[in-house]
Amino acid sequence: MTYKIQIDDLVRDATAEEAAAIEAGQAEAVAQADALASKQAARQAVLDKLGLTADEAQALLG
Amino acid sequence: MAYTSSQIVQAVPTGINSALVLIKSETIGTTVSSVAVTGAFSATYDYYKVVVIGGVMSSSTNIKLQLGATATGYYAFVSRGTAAGASDFVGNNNATTFDRIGAGSTNGFYCDINIGDPFATKLTKVEATLITLSTTGSYGKTVGFLNDSTSYTGFTISPDGGTMTGGAIYVYGYTKS
Repeated sequence: MTYKIQIDDLVRDATAEEAAAIEAGQAEAVAQADALASKQAARQAVLDKLGLTADEAQALLG
Repeated sequence: MAYTSSQIVQAVPTGINSALVLIKSETIGTTVSSVAVTGAFSATYDYYKVVVIGGVMSSSTNIKLQLGATATGYYAFVSRGTAAGASDFVGNNNATTFDRIGAGSTNGFYCDINIGDPFATKLTKVEATLITLSTTGSYGKTVGFLNDSTSYTGFTISPDGGTMTGGAIYVYGYTKS
């Protein structure tokens, strides 16, 4: 895939190395989002098991 | 007392001791994956405000900040939540960028970043507001620092995914006196 990058006023196609860096950054963001979603799902599973809402759990923690 | 237009123009530089001075602005191109701004920081100012506004993203995503070419040592804490009240916290623990210093969507994007000591050979401090311009997106704050004492003159912003189109980056310096 071709990416465009901008340096001050100049817009040009990314080099292969720059494109690889962009894709690595995007992959890192996807991995982070997936990890966060997994964490939230695990949290919700515990709440479901306890029969508590998120607000009730927060009230317990004070 | 009446003034002519030329008298008014002449009065501005000497009559106002402004706190924020526009250092430079860059218009953002079409469907770009990153924008690097050079020559933004200098010894003239210690503290800066960077505002990125006016364009759109190709998708709902966060915006990252990298100082110079440094790709390590970014430490930050992000607290954010949705309009529905769901919240979460995210850390940048020796990350490759500050990865949530702004956000956007097809409705627009927005960054309001305060940066302390980027040019000085001191740790660089960052505080930013995160507003995904989406009814279901997150809104929050990022605070952190870059754990090195390199002197930086420029920075790069880039979306987590997709591209940015239009709008501009404005760099302001806070006057020291």
